[in-house]
Amino acid sequence: MLVAWRYRNRKSLIQSFDPRAWLIFYACFLVSTLAFWDVRPLLFFFTLAMFVLFTSGVTWKEMRRAFLFIIGFVVFFAILTFLTGRGGSELYGQEHLIRQYKASFSILGWTPTLDVTVERAFYAVSQLVRVSSIAVMTILIPYSLNPSLYGVTFKGLGLPDKFAYAMDLTMRFIPTFARDFQLTMDAQRARGYEIEKLNGGIVEQVRKMAPIFVPVTIHAIISSEDIIDAMDLRAFGVGPRTWLEVLNRDLKDRVLIWFGVAILVGSLIAGFMGYGKFWVPEALLRLAGG
Amino acid sequence: MAVSPLVVENLSFRYRDRSATAIREISFEAHAGEILLIAGASGCGKTTLIRCINGLAPRSYKGEVGGQILLYGENPKDWKLSQISQKIGTVLQDPERQILGTKVVNEVAFGLENLNVAREEIIDRVDEALKFLKIFHLRERETFTLSGGEKQKVALAGVLAMRPSILLLDEPLASLDPASAQDALDTARLLADQGMTILMVEHRVEDVLRIQPNRVMFMSEGEIRYLGIPSGLSKVANYREIKLPASEIVERAKLDPPPAEIKILPGAAGRGSEKEALVRFEEVAFGYDAEVEVLHGINLEIKRGDVIAVLGPNGAGKTTFVKHAIGLLKPKAGRVLVNGHDTKQASVAQIASTLGYVFQSPSHMLFAPTVREELAFGPTNLKHSKEQIETEVKEALRIVNLSDKEQDPPLALSFGQQKRVSIAAILAMQSRILVMDEPTAGQDYQNYMNFMDSILQLPSFEAILFITHDVDLAVIYANRVLIVNDGRLIADGKPQDVLRDFDRLKANRLVPTSLLALNLDRLGATSRFMRAEALAHV
Repeated sequence: MLVAWRYRNRKSLIQSFDPRAWLIFYACFLVSTLAFWDVRPLLFFFTLAMFVLFTSGVTWKEMRRAFLFIIGFVVFFAILTFLTGRGGSELYGQEHLIRQYKASFSILGWTPTLDVTVERAFYAVSQLVRVSSIAVMTILIPYSLNPSLYGVTFKGLGLPDKFAYAMDLTMRFIPTFARDFQLTMDAQRARGYEIEKLNGGIVEQVRKMAPIFVPVTIHAIISSEDIIDAMDLRAFGVGPRTWLEVLNRDLKDRVLIWFGVAILVGSLIAGFMGYGKFWVPEALLRLAGG
Repeated sequence: MAVSPLVVENLSFRYRDRSATAIREISFEAHAGEILLIAGASGCGKTTLIRCINGLAPRSYKGEVGGQILLYGENPKDWKLSQISQKIGTVLQDPERQILGTKVVNEVAFGLENLNVAREEIIDRVDEALKFLKIFHLRERETFTLSGGEKQKVALAGVLAMRPSILLLDEPLASLDPASAQDALDTARLLADQGMTILMVEHRVEDVLRIQPNRVMFMSEGEIRYLGIPSGLSKVANYREIKLPASEIVERAKLDPPPAEIKILPGAAGRGSEKEALVRFEEVAFGYDAEVEVLHGINLEIKRGDVIAVLGPNGAGKTTFVKHAIGLLKPKAGRVLVNGHDTKQASVAQIASTLGYVFQSPSHMLFAPTVREELAFGPTNLKHSKEQIETEVKEALRIVNLSDKEQDPPLALSFGQQKRVSIAAILAMQSRILVMDEPTAGQDYQNYMNFMDSILQLPSFEAILFITHDVDLAVIYANRVLIVNDGRLIADGKPQDVLRDFDRLKANRLVPTSLLALNLDRLGATSRFMRAEALAHV
């Protein structure tokens, strides 16, 4: 059975909008944020995301796991890029060294070296701000969209009935998959299986994960067949359908959409005009002797 | 003369990927206002018959069809499923597999939305169905938070809202507590009295006989063995194959030799004191969310020689309670000791060598390419020797009657067989304590009685605990009964002490059975509860 995200009615700012308006705004926000590497406009998007977060009414306890995962992910990749110097080099041609750390040993004539440059440091900061803004807005979606409105929302965004209902099911597939994964983990642990103690090479470790992945996959396939049968038995897809839920768009929704579109258009124009590219403060460059 | 709602003529069906025919030459006619009970062992073709009638076979389940079906005189062979579904409503065995809507109101409206009915009319018909089933108060609830009984009613409401004239119920009682099962049956009777034709596939024949089905069809190996009035069923069906009322079994069993005495847990004696607790719950409290506590102050000791049946309504906290015994859940307050060790200090895998736990759903654990490898998985994790594993696998397969399936892929077996593989997989681990969550769900009567007999006589176990909705299972096998409701231990004692209080049973959504009543009647002579076959010889 499909389970839904943990949605609660919170009377928050996000929930006061028509979900179609919110999704359009979210899409505009997403594309606009991706248009920039300059931390100054990115800080605007970050501030916007923080405003939405703090007015969302979602408690830290509710989203702690998702946030810790995303923060861990973002910080890990930012540090990795910083250490390796890869990932941002296409955005800047020249690097200004602040300090260089050299290892006291060599491996086959190569001495591990860490160059701390202004560009690498600021690239890591820009990446953190950019990805964090998008992550915050994305994490909030399941907490702020009423699951019973998923289908009608996508229908309202112009998708045909079948696709709109398929999107509804897809949105609920993720928490359902998480629940099934946990159930399978529990069932195999009760048979003495310890995922933490898997050993061997990568191929061997993947093979030893079969007790988890096979049941989860098979269960997902069987469940989707059940869903298809259940839909067929109640005449799904025979023609145009009525949607029980009704969405109402009012002035504030229109304002939100126009605000989102304005940000998007502004960002795209700025991008075409060459603004918003990777930027480092002059003062820092001077500090590095540039 | 009125046209029959449903006529089945010489119907046969063979699934595309199987060589054997699933049903053969089935012919019958169902009348308006009739309840036709369809009984038979697992694999007898009941579900295939239902799939042919509702159109899923051959549309979703491809295969070869012979004969014909007439709905109100018309052959629906070329109809779309949507056309058929307006005349025939189907409630599947497991409501979890049927419910699609996020909220109850969306679920019940789903079929009407697909038929493009006007929104106002949908609302009226949804409310009408919810009120008819007395679940209007659930209208705005999220479906995945409902109890098993509530889900069953919501699934039925979704079908009734489409106003079918024929209703197919495929094992509607399988996941319900006794009181919810009784409610579901009463609803079926009411619908039939209003003119609906109802075909009900059900293992729990005794329960259905209470609402006086008009006729009974008994199927075996894809064919009809009996079709007629209910009283004729006991003459043709073996009382070991389907569950008949206790008085009828007693009458029939008198003519047979007395059943062999079951020696319960022969290995428990002589391994230590019966007073020693193998598992101890001390003031255990638990909640999935910090705000809502679902188990409250559970105190309990499982001792050597205990065969414990855990009874209670859907959603009472029974599974949550037993998951603490293997450490899958850790108490928020209090502690659980297994073999004297706190489960908070041990991994689940460590506890698994002492306590084997059979989950409700087999599909969450089966993964191996053969049944043999599936059964060897647990003992291998517990580092048993190769020779030992070989013996354990063979013995487990014998107990669940699947020795001939050793090289088959478990995922290709029927649901009932998969369930038995999941039980065998735990039996092969040779744990000292066995915990089973609804071991008989989805099994036919003869199979589950056989494997329960075998499991209880295994020398390896020192204690067994099983969760069940079947009061008779507690009567026949348990020497201790727990009633759990609302996260609390309501009763704990010998079956004859706990189950004699009918008011308490009723308060906990349990329904006294004919076997329980007969046992209580004869308790003076027997001094303990017995199965009906044994009572016949007292």
